[in-house]
Amino acid sequence: MTVYETDVPGIGKKFELDLGGSARAVVLLHHDGRVEVFRRESPDADSEKVFDLTQGQANRLGSILEGAYFEAVSTEELSVPLGDAIIEWVDIDEDSAVAGRTLAESDLRNVSGVSVIAVQRGEETVPNPDAEFRIEPGDILVAIGTREQQAVFAERCR
Amino acid sequence: MAGTGVLLEAGILFTAVAVAGALAWRLGQSVIPAYILAGVLLGPNSPVPPLRVVETSEFVTLLQELGVVLLLFFIGLHFSPSSLLERRQSVLRAGVLDLGLNASVGFVAGLLLGFTLLEAVVLSGVVYISSSAIITKSLIELGWIADPEAESILGVLVFEDLVIAVYLAVVAAVVLSGEGLTETATAVGISVGFVGLLAILAFYGTGLVERALDVRSDELFLLRIVGAAALIGGVALALGVSEAVAAFFLGAAVGGTEHAARVERVITSERDLYAAVFFFAIGLGTDPGTFGAVALPVLALAVVSTASKLASGYLGGRAYGLSERRSVRMALAMVARGEFSLVLAALAVQADMDPTLSALAVGYVLVMSVLGTALMGQSARIETLARRAGLGEPLAAEGERAA
Repeated sequence: MTVYETDVPGIGKKFELDLGGSARAVVLLHHDGRVEVFRRESPDADSEKVFDLTQGQANRLGSILEGAYFEAVSTEELSVPLGDAIIEWVDIDEDSAVAGRTLAESDLRNVSGVSVIAVQRGEETVPNPDAEFRIEPGDILVAIGTREQQAVFAERCR
Repeated sequence: MAGTGVLLEAGILFTAVAVAGALAWRLGQSVIPAYILAGVLLGPNSPVPPLRVVETSEFVTLLQELGVVLLLFFIGLHFSPSSLLERRQSVLRAGVLDLGLNASVGFVAGLLLGFTLLEAVVLSGVVYISSSAIITKSLIELGWIADPEAESILGVLVFEDLVIAVYLAVVAAVVLSGEGLTETATAVGISVGFVGLLAILAFYGTGLVERALDVRSDELFLLRIVGAAALIGGVALALGVSEAVAAFFLGAAVGGTEHAARVERVITSERDLYAAVFFFAIGLGTDPGTFGAVALPVLALAVVSTASKLASGYLGGRAYGLSERRSVRMALAMVARGEFSLVLAALAVQADMDPTLSALAVGYVLVMSVLGTALMGQSARIETLARRAGLGEPLAAEGERAA
């Protein structure tokens, strides 16, 4: 796969990329950041404009094509697969059944089978909390367990 | 006009070019002839006397000068030695052919029209130089910019820029100096020396220029560029050297640095503003009453020089290894004349040459800028006609051949 790069005086830079057969993609980077993308079917054909992008759009498209595009994901929907087990972040409300109790008192592990692997309290994270750790409203419990166990756990924490 | 009227005059001027530019866009035409016509219409020689509201006052002259300096600064900025060197064989063949054919047409036409030798040399420049501004804009609008012909067209345009820079350095010095061989020789010597220094700066002083422009604020960057361009242009004029050439080489010096893209981003709008005034001022200085007298020569010159540009463009395209069809396109593209021809017309006025010459040049640019844009726009039809005439038969073996 060859990329041909040329300076286009007064305009910017031109890149041509072989697309297989005799077709080529032609990318024109204007000095002002605008990007035009053309497709030329054969050396004799005229280039057809595919799209015209602003600098911002071009950067976004570039990262998508590169597979490097990330979007901020809400923590509420986040779950990380670990075999059957998944990790969930559970918010503890003011009126939660477990607020004000220690982990041992709330008996969460015995009832649901889920382990609390960390607690987020404001800015700080308490890793691997022991049985005497007291849960407070506003905490976020980071829990590991299967999907079914997580469902029971979330129910208990309401 | 009195001091209090300057703002009003500026308001009329800029509004006029704004309206003219909008009309040109609507018609799919280049803005250059529109700005000139706006100047003719509102100038002291307007065919409609009540519209004679703008004069070539000092502020117009100042903005016009800044327009020339920034126009040429940008042409220098785009001057790309690499595009000349990469395919020097093809550039040289296409460029020399273009120069030889079209400059001779202008020179011979000048002599036939009864101009002096020097005036004929100026006319040869007017006829020779195609308009990078008009052609580049059309290349982008028509999408040719992605096709191989754009490379050849822009290559020849860069060659033309270099030729005209050297030409201006010498011709402006000769034209602006007084009579007498010694005076002329001294003027040419000073000009070549001054331009030579700038050229050395352009090609060897990249690091220096790089540091001189290294400033974070866009505002300070703009001021440095405009300051340097106006100062160097002014010093050049004071020495009897063409300010246009000085600006060209300053542009080339900046073009070699990392700052080139930033200039495009930050200063293009300043150039457009002052360049519009330049074209408008050309119109102000034009007496449409003289158009009658130059109409026939303009048309004759337009016909002959269109033919010569078509021929040199086509053969230039072939020299680049373009297919016949793409060479036809290159021929059509090269026809437009514009800003550079007008810089030469302004030079003729500055040097008190025969006023017929500048009228001829302005009329010629009006015709050729419109014709050039129209020819490129109609290329599909013209290519079909050319194919019927035996040019551009779609052969499989044709197309991009290595030069």
